[in-house]
Amino acid sequence: MAPLEDLERDYPIIDSNFRMFCASHGIFTDTDFLLHDLSALEAFARQDYAPDKLEQGIKQMISIIESGQRPWLNGVELLEDSQLNKCTLSTGCEGIDILLQGGLREGHVTELVGPSCSGKTQICLKSASHVARNSLGKVVYFDTGNSFSPKRVAQFLSLLSDPSATQTNKAVERDMSSIVCHSVFDIFTLLDMLRQLMNNLRSQISFQVRMLIIDSLSSLIAPVLGGGGAHGHALMATAGFLLKEIAHESNLCVVVTNHMVAGEAGMLKPALGESWKSIPHVRLLLSGKYSATGTRITILKHPYLASGKSADFVVL
Amino acid sequence: MTSAFSWIAADETAEQALVRIYKKRPFLIFPPPFHRLPLRAGNVVEIVGPSPSAKTLILIQAAINCILPKEWKGVSYGGLERAVLFIDLDCRFDVSSISRALQRRIIDANGLRRSSLKGNGNEYDKELFVSSMRRFLYTRCYNSFEFLATLKTLHHRIQQEKGGSAVYMLLIDSIGAFYWMDRALPTSSTGNNNNRKSLSLQTVVETVVQEIQRLLVAHPMLVLATKSAAFGDKQSITEVIRKRPDEKMPDPRDAQNKPHRCFMPSVWQSFVSHRMLLRALDGESKHQNRPTFSTEWLLPPLNCSDHFTVNDGCLLIPK
Repeated sequence: MAPLEDLERDYPIIDSNFRMFCASHGIFTDTDFLLHDLSALEAFARQDYAPDKLEQGIKQMISIIESGQRPWLNGVELLEDSQLNKCTLSTGCEGIDILLQGGLREGHVTELVGPSCSGKTQICLKSASHVARNSLGKVVYFDTGNSFSPKRVAQFLSLLSDPSATQTNKAVERDMSSIVCHSVFDIFTLLDMLRQLMNNLRSQISFQVRMLIIDSLSSLIAPVLGGGGAHGHALMATAGFLLKEIAHESNLCVVVTNHMVAGEAGMLKPALGESWKSIPHVRLLLSGKYSATGTRITILKHPYLASGKSADFVVL
Repeated sequence: MTSAFSWIAADETAEQALVRIYKKRPFLIFPPPFHRLPLRAGNVVEIVGPSPSAKTLILIQAAINCILPKEWKGVSYGGLERAVLFIDLDCRFDVSSISRALQRRIIDANGLRRSSLKGNGNEYDKELFVSSMRRFLYTRCYNSFEFLATLKTLHHRIQQEKGGSAVYMLLIDSIGAFYWMDRALPTSSTGNNNNRKSLSLQTVVETVVQEIQRLLVAHPMLVLATKSAAFGDKQSITEVIRKRPDEKMPDPRDAQNKPHRCFMPSVWQSFVSHRMLLRALDGESKHQNRPTFSTEWLLPPLNCSDHFTVNDGCLLIPK
């Protein structure tokens, strides 16, 4: 939402005359320009006393809008981008990897939903350690409930490393230094940090980040949801779209966790309501029942795998 | 005086007008689930359903029908060989879903044996695949202003595409994606500030409808838009219906009688010319992970509903 004055520096055609003409039609910023009927504006410009300059100004505004846009891609280019940039990251749990045909995919926002003590944090820690060990990149971990446990991560990493290697401690230290953990306790801090992360990734300041884990996202959003106002839902939608933008543009894998609340007839349903359902790409349900073969994970929603498929897995 | 008379002279008869319209914008019968009503360029079809139902899948199937050619090397595919514009507002589209569905369709039409997709035995015509995928144009928008900017510059983009006659369909995935973000837009505090348009959901949707209308005049296209809807009455968060364990669960068929609430402003609702409702039917074919859905035309209201199942990314109509 930039005021038109800021554009004059780079585009001298947007001078005070043009800005006065726009102001007479109620256009003060570039978003006002988007909301306005451009052909009516051009018709008014033609009747003005200096039509050429005004028309040039309008054309310049349109080209500024065009240059700021994402290009249209055709199917072949989409496929190329998907094959080159969006690889699959293994979670470290074999059952989950087999169910998801390889693991978590970069560019997807994956939601893990389940009742308490069903293993969501364990899967997050295991995936973080696996990615830190195997891929050349960092893992960013946003922890909202102080559930990040460095000891557990160290345990996972030492299990992964070759028992005969002598440099185990050094390797574990090196891998743990690629996991960056932040504590976040409210939604506004989260949005702030996500925007910072997006800017850093865009300007390539930080190292290549492979995975972003938010455990748990629902504890930040659930307190602001509810009531008659739209602001809670708007914050949730904003966070969701930011996560999707980070995941797609910077080729990251985003994992968020969600808890469950009581629904109809005493059954549990995922929290955050109906409008959240359309935000993640992949939704995985962990059942709380622990059986001898492990915990059950079911696909609730996936872009191309059938929902309802389930598998058992164990986190060592 | 002659110029005044030329005003009221007839341009063409009604018969000539109808013939011209039917030739330029013919009615087409699309494959299921649109098979009950003929559609033509200029119609705006809204596909409404809860999440998850197969809305995006329906869009993908419609896109495949559009981008495939009518005939290729002796095999008939029954497509329109026109380009398709996909505006992804939900930002959840994965290109694997359309590429797999297109491969499956090509293989099926050729009558080759269906080997598993991971196997290397599936020989399909790669040239046809590539030329069809080239007709699928995609962009995504992360907020309403990016969407408006896309619509405003779409005219030039379509003209770049082979002279502008090649685009036939505009697919919008989830027109209500930015509903909550737009509802919470900051309205200007100085309301009387020289006729400035206030930022709100209403003005954004009005501008969107205006831009699409203008686009349809210049490039007649069929517009398919999905929308996720909530069924029944809004349940307040504090109220939870508790049932005793021996009571039966409410019959899911009751859900069919509850009307769905449309949350988009009336400007959009009156712009839509056709509306189709999708519903998930559970309990029927839970085995083999094949969810079943029912479709029903709400506008124009037809009192019949079709069922289809989703099998591995394909729509199947059980007869």
